[in-house]
Amino acid sequence: MVAAAPTIPGELIYEAIGLKKQFDNGKVMALRGLDLEIRQGEFVAIIGQSGCGKSTLLQMLGCLDRPSEGTLNYRGTSIPDMRDPAAYRAHQIGFVFQSFHLLPTFTVLENVQIPMFEGKLSRSQRKARGIELLESVGLGHRLSHYPSELSGGERQRVAIARGLANRPSVVLADEPTGNLDSESAVQIIDLLLELHGKLGVTLVLVTHDLSVAERASRTIRMKDGRVISDKVAASH
Amino acid sequence: MTFFTIVLRSLTRRPVRTCLTLVGISIGIAAVVALVGMAWGYEKGIGKQLDVMGIDVVVSNMSGGLMPKVFDESLQNEVSKLPRVAAVTSALMQMLSVEDAPIMMISGREWGGFAWDKLKVMSGRLPIDGNEKAVVLGHLAAEVLKKKVGDTVQIESEELAVVGIVDGQAMVENGTVFLPLKVMQEVTGNQGKINFVDIQVPPNSPKSEIELLCKDIKVIFPEGRAMIASEVVGTSQGFRVARAMSWSTSLLAIIVGVLGVMNTMLMTVFERTHEIGILLAVGWRKSRIVCMVLYESALLGLLGGIVGVTLGAVGLLILGSSPGIRGFLEPDLSPKLMIISIAIAVVVGIVSGLYPAWRSSRLSPSVALQS
Repeated sequence: MVAAAPTIPGELIYEAIGLKKQFDNGKVMALRGLDLEIRQGEFVAIIGQSGCGKSTLLQMLGCLDRPSEGTLNYRGTSIPDMRDPAAYRAHQIGFVFQSFHLLPTFTVLENVQIPMFEGKLSRSQRKARGIELLESVGLGHRLSHYPSELSGGERQRVAIARGLANRPSVVLADEPTGNLDSESAVQIIDLLLELHGKLGVTLVLVTHDLSVAERASRTIRMKDGRVISDKVAASH
Repeated sequence: MTFFTIVLRSLTRRPVRTCLTLVGISIGIAAVVALVGMAWGYEKGIGKQLDVMGIDVVVSNMSGGLMPKVFDESLQNEVSKLPRVAAVTSALMQMLSVEDAPIMMISGREWGGFAWDKLKVMSGRLPIDGNEKAVVLGHLAAEVLKKKVGDTVQIESEELAVVGIVDGQAMVENGTVFLPLKVMQEVTGNQGKINFVDIQVPPNSPKSEIELLCKDIKVIFPEGRAMIASEVVGTSQGFRVARAMSWSTSLLAIIVGVLGVMNTMLMTVFERTHEIGILLAVGWRKSRIVCMVLYESALLGLLGGIVGVTLGAVGLLILGSSPGIRGFLEPDLSPKLMIISIAIAVVVGIVSGLYPAWRSSRLSPSVALQS
């Protein structure tokens, strides 16, 4: 059984009840009846060994995949039954991936503007916001560079800027430091924390790096597709 | 950056493949321009010829091959007796190989008939009478045959003197060899035979009157057909066959173009599965992904169309000035043909992109991201 979610001020934004996900016609059970609540403004780190289902959970939260069973709500609305999942991903969610997932034929500034096509911004507004975001992650001098011309840490900064392009209320980060050296990893977590504090976004971060998880306000540990512990950091 | 920038960037990332696809589609469109341009040019040339000659109704028996079957020249007298007829003349026209030239129009015209009136003598003269064994050449025919006044031309087994060079005021006329009807009948062994009766009706005759005349002619010449000159091109079986052949050949070329673009777009979608996954993850709607693929294929079509029309136009000009065609037909390079060809290319692009676009819209974002 999972311990009840710690009481943290803020609106309940994610609620998972008995969430299950099967692959290969049930041969692989990624999630086995997971229960979870996440509130607005939290910085939640989800930790666990490879294959415990943490990335699968993140994909469910981001509406990139559908659960096989169970309830999964975002602000009271069922995520799998959303009428417009693209709008949810475009305006409520910002994704940050382990392998950056930048588009190689577009410049840094263009990559950051790509999610904005689903908004109502004009061409100049998109450009202005892209520059602003890249400056906020310390890449104002790299606007016209291509991803291949950047270091791993810089690419992840671009990915973070892209994740914030439509001013989402939640950032879902899947092993954002997994492909980085330790120095870059610290810088990226510093940046995420700074943006989390400044913008008040809810940050859900999947990692297997305990030093990263220690900086979160709440740590959820998963094993075999279930939550086995859920702790709020003492400092929070 | 605009949406168009994204579309364009996709095409420029693999320039060689994009260029090869453009070559494929442009060859198809060039074939459309060249073949249809020739067919339309031929139709236009004949239409203009009839117009210049002042013919209102043409009587012939088109059940033959390229040219109408011959029939007895007595029909001309019978037709001339019909009401609503102002003037009648007859002709025996054949397409024959003359000396080194491949095929030329040889027109034996009744001496004194109105068909001679529109020929403007540029040098020399017209035949003295209907029995003179002489020819006059349209100026393009003279150019193709490399003949001037005073030379001779061999038609079938007869050696005939060139007595004049004329301006026929229409491409087909200018590429024709003219001679008196009787001489033509002798040269081709068709004594007493003709294959055209050309009729002028009184000026300002209503169409209904002309249609009645056509019906009257059908009664006295049931095996043939009388056609209003302006409708000859539209209704003639020969022109229909030429049109159908040019379009069907073009269609084959277009199908090759469709397959080329479809192959490229499918490759593009397969190659970019991961990229499409990223676009879906950052919130792009599937409809936007579909639009992106369709815009790309439409742009390929448009560019291929522009290149194809240019190639086709150059090809048509070269064909039009080649010895076998010069003077025989004037290729049609009208804006209408160019616009239709480019529109076909864009439609080809869009149609070719439909399946790849559908494939891209069925991608699951999580699966696409893992590819």
